[in-house]
Amino acid sequence: MRKLRAGVGRRSGAAGLLALLGVGILAGILFLGRGLLGSEDVTWQAMQRRGSWRVGMDPSFPPFEMLDENGQPVGLDVDLAQAMAQEWGLELEIVALGFDGLVDALLAGKIDSVVSALPYDPRLTEDIAYSPPYFEAGVRLVTPQGSPIQGVQALAGKRVAVEWGSAGDGVGRRLRREEPSIQLVQRPTPQEAVAALLSGEADALLIDGVTLGLAQAQGAPLQAVGPPLESEPYVIAVPLDAPILQERVREALEGLAQSGALARLEARWFASPSAPP
Amino acid sequence: MASLNGSQSAARGTGSLPRLFAALLLLGLILALFFLVWRPFSQSVPLGPQQQVQTINPKMGVHTRLTDEAEAWKIKRTLEMVREMGAPWIVEYFPWAYYEPEPGVFDWGHPDLVIRHARRQGLTVIARLGFAPEWARPPGATPLYLDEESYEAFGRYAAAFARRYAGQVDYIILWNEPNLSMEWGFRPVDPAAYVAMLRVVTPMVKAANPDVQVLAGALAPSLAPPGSEWGLDDLRYLQGMYDAGAKEYFDVLAIHAYGWHFDPDEPAAPDVVNFRRAELLRQIMVANGDGEKKAMITEGGWNDHPRWTKAVRPGQRIRYTIRAYQIAQEEWPWLESISLWAFRFPWDTKSYQDYFTFVSTDFEPKPIYLEVQRYAQGRWRAP
Repeated sequence: MRKLRAGVGRRSGAAGLLALLGVGILAGILFLGRGLLGSEDVTWQAMQRRGSWRVGMDPSFPPFEMLDENGQPVGLDVDLAQAMAQEWGLELEIVALGFDGLVDALLAGKIDSVVSALPYDPRLTEDIAYSPPYFEAGVRLVTPQGSPIQGVQALAGKRVAVEWGSAGDGVGRRLRREEPSIQLVQRPTPQEAVAALLSGEADALLIDGVTLGLAQAQGAPLQAVGPPLESEPYVIAVPLDAPILQERVREALEGLAQSGALARLEARWFASPSAPP
Repeated sequence: MASLNGSQSAARGTGSLPRLFAALLLLGLILALFFLVWRPFSQSVPLGPQQQVQTINPKMGVHTRLTDEAEAWKIKRTLEMVREMGAPWIVEYFPWAYYEPEPGVFDWGHPDLVIRHARRQGLTVIARLGFAPEWARPPGATPLYLDEESYEAFGRYAAAFARRYAGQVDYIILWNEPNLSMEWGFRPVDPAAYVAMLRVVTPMVKAANPDVQVLAGALAPSLAPPGSEWGLDDLRYLQGMYDAGAKEYFDVLAIHAYGWHFDPDEPAAPDVVNFRRAELLRQIMVANGDGEKKAMITEGGWNDHPRWTKAVRPGQRIRYTIRAYQIAQEEWPWLESISLWAFRFPWDTKSYQDYFTFVSTDFEPKPIYLEVQRYAQGRWRAP
């Protein structure tokens, strides 16, 4: 029985070695294949042949994208895409599309990418690839600079301004369910909600990142405190089978963020959202 | 030793077969138990006690979107929240292709679930029927394509539905927005063809359940001129229906009343799509001697997407929505109910459509839900 066991053990050992070898070979093939496939990026190749990066956007969302008096797209996303295309030695070609048609156009190969204040959608990650976020547009808790309020835990008994019916209002009502002493100061527009905070009618504000950016760029002494209470990151969408383009987009965004160029673009366009500076 | 080893190997070999059978048997038992235990559990959410909707406005309703909601508890929770908001009416879609996958083979499991829970919450269901199965349409045609050869097949489905839910569902909408090319299978729209369908299907439904009320129309608000590839103006289309003899083949006109960026008190005009366009459709009913019939708004409302060109601000949406419910109750005696699009989606569409909803996919009530609820309780006032 010992011999038998030993025999079985030997056979098991040999089988194990063979299995390991097989797994190793398979992994090697996959790795090699991935490497080979990685160099196959028809989108990137088409961009090189064409000499342009074809970007889809809906130019109706200042300060990210809009049309100037000559009907030309301008805005933060336009400049961002321009900077990236320039880095790659390509022309930027903007295709104006309705917001709801952008992803379909990408899937259909009509455009190379979407740069259009596009919110990240986890449901589409099997169909398209996303860049890292370049802007957070979700709901933030905002206070005047120097305020002792440093998070939602400090809102008990405080007056919190919101745009009536907005996502910020929704967050405020949820917080009030947990802490009934919070008083919501509801205003019809986001601008009036900001004004309520600045005039002292409210101690804090729950507002989206775009409204906050616009107010700050206009000189309002406001600060966002804590993490977003509802996240809505804006990302760039790229075809799933375009590994080179995905990597270039990631590198370019990283470079623009590190160099401060992205922050400068934000400051520039949020300060002057309705017309080219 | 060799023979010993050989015989032991043989014994091991023969012994592995029973073990394999035992393993397969065990696997089979586990699977059987899984299907026996899991399936009933997944669909066995208790109906709970009979409920009643408390509201100051009995015409209030919403279009639910439970067609693709697979989980029973989510169906129940959705309908509970409709009741808690104070809306006694729901419109729900029961696609033909889902429930008659083969001719004459019906699968009523999901509609049973939705209708039982809706009734237990005290809600009145308006059933929207449409969406042709593959076997009932030409190859390559979309599920919204219904040709004359399939009218009877659609009638058999509608009749089977009416018969099964007799006493539970008293209102059935036949097809949706036939004045849009897309909703008519990407063909030129044709009021006479739609009426030809009603002429076949309505008598079949009535024969199956004489008490059911057939809703027709459900036209998309549109300004498309004659000859447009996209569709036809709903006012022209409705007149076209009457011209083709529609009057005898429906009981209630279904109206879609979207406000886009207009206040609900904006006056109606033939060249404007706004909420009061419903009044123009009503005028056509009256002008064609159909003033005795009622109408129901089975879709409508406002959208508060931050980017969509036809959207309004969230506060405007609240104000307009409540005003629309008020108009329906106070000014339109010919309107039986008003069901606004859309209560909740099973998942985020990540498009402007999400900004029509009252409740998020995770059942978090949006501010509009809470404000409408206050209105239904008689406690609402604008800030």
